Amino acid sequence: MEENKKNRRDFLNTCFRFAAGAGIVGIAGVLAVKSQKGDFLWQLDPAKCTQCGRCATSCVVTPSAVKCIHVYDMCGYCDLCGGYFRPNVKNLSTGAENQLCPTGAIKRSYVEDPFFKYEIIDELCIGCGKCVKGCGAFGNGSLQLQVSHDLCVNCNQCAIARDCPSDAFSRVPIEQAYKFAGFKSNKKI
Amino acid sequence: MKNKLILWLLVILLLVVVAFMAKDLFVSTDSPRENIYEYDLKELRKVDSSKISHKEVKQIKIQANELHGIAVDSKDQIYVSTDENILVLDSEGKQINSLKVRGEARCLTVAENGNILVGLGNRVDIRKPDGSLRNSFVVAGEKAFITSLTIDGDNVYVADAGQKIVHHYNIDGEKINEIGGKNPEAGIKGFVIPSPYFDLMIGRQGELWVVNPGRHAFEAYNSRGEQISSWERTSMSLEGFSGCCNPSNVAMLSDGSFVTAEKGLERVKIHLPSGDFKSVVAAPELFEEGTVGIDLAVDSQDRILVLDPVQKMIRIFEAK
Repeated sequence: MEENKKNRRDFLNTCFRFAAGAGIVGIAGVLAVKSQKGDFLWQLDPAKCTQCGRCATSCVVTPSAVKCIHVYDMCGYCDLCGGYFRPNVKNLSTGAENQLCPTGAIKRSYVEDPFFKYEIIDELCIGCGKCVKGCGAFGNGSLQLQVSHDLCVNCNQCAIARDCPSDAFSRVPIEQAYKFAGFKSNKKI
Repeated sequence: MKNKLILWLLVILLLVVVAFMAKDLFVSTDSPRENIYEYDLKELRKVDSSKISHKEVKQIKIQANELHGIAVDSKDQIYVSTDENILVLDSEGKQINSLKVRGEARCLTVAENGNILVGLGNRVDIRKPDGSLRNSFVVAGEKAFITSLTIDGDNVYVADAGQKIVHHYNIDGEKINEIGGKNPEAGIKGFVIPSPYFDLMIGRQGELWVVNPGRHAFEAYNSRGEQISSWERTSMSLEGFSGCCNPSNVAMLSDGSFVTAEKGLERVKIHLPSGDFKSVVAAPELFEEGTVGIDLAVDSQDRILVLDPVQKMIRIFEAK
């Protein structure tokens, strides 16, 4: 009987040791796999984005780490650009009163008749998405919002993702850090 | 007794904690917040009712996966091209026939003699009124993509959005000429086509009218390819066309006025032969946002037939 009790204790001890060992091996395995896969970053899906303006106001970084990017291979290089000009502009000039962007973050320059190039000035862009909405409504949708990873501090819980009404934010592998729509989606910028 | 009390208190505390956690997890505290950067496109979609000249008198539902083009023949029979076939309807919308086509019929037109010309990618099929194939030819070029075609007698004009040119063939498919290529000496600026919307039609005097959507312009050519007239209107207001490529589709009324369909701000308008804005046929509110490829046709009574590819129907408008 006494021997039996001893045996049970030994048995339980062995079980605990085995479980602890398996746990350590498991954690080490998971960490090894994770370190191989690399890190994850926050990114937004332009196909889901509704340009609600919260990227500009909810980000913990000021101004927001979300910026407009220009996918040039989708752009029509329009003279009357719906992302650049306010509706019902009197003339197509670069006057501040004609510009849709609240911070003047889009630079318009002449290429050749009838084409104009539009460049985003990152330092001025606040990620409000007004130009994105205008371009999507009137043009080819070449202006798109993306989290700029050189500015994003990659919070554990992204404040914009929490506030995003269209659930456009998700964590993406670092190898596919950008998700803009277009002919060359997921290319690095 | 004391232990029991502590136990109950702990249970209550646990329930409170669980309730708070459940609230956090399942109850949304999101309240609608004002967007201080709002770009309200709804305002742009509003049209003053005094500018609307037509009323919708009929809707004809079409059973098809995708609707691409509409045309009307001299007897006011309606032809609709879909991803699978061509439907032939009488002027009241009753289906008369369904013609099989080989591929997705992106555009079509009907000749005076009833022959049906269909654009399928880079191929033009010419079918007899009974649907049998008369002849067929391919538009050369890797990027060839036919978005519209029209016929005037023996002359077939094909709008090729891929190569940004109009091809002139005879009815047998022999190439005669190319129209609209950039030629500064002749004053031809060239077509600007940022997206695959490139329409054309024959005018009242047999001239070829081609839309230059990137310039928001109409250009008229004779059969030798010489530009004989043009007008352009760039504006976000009703008076002109906006965006990268508008108007997307066109038709002509018996008085030579232009009927235009736009994307972006989905609307159908009439412009006078001079190009000046005349009136609105269908305001943006009649279409679902994001509708593209609204094709147009005009019958002998000057009724305007609008193909709505999203709501999958033909909408017929008459002057008020």
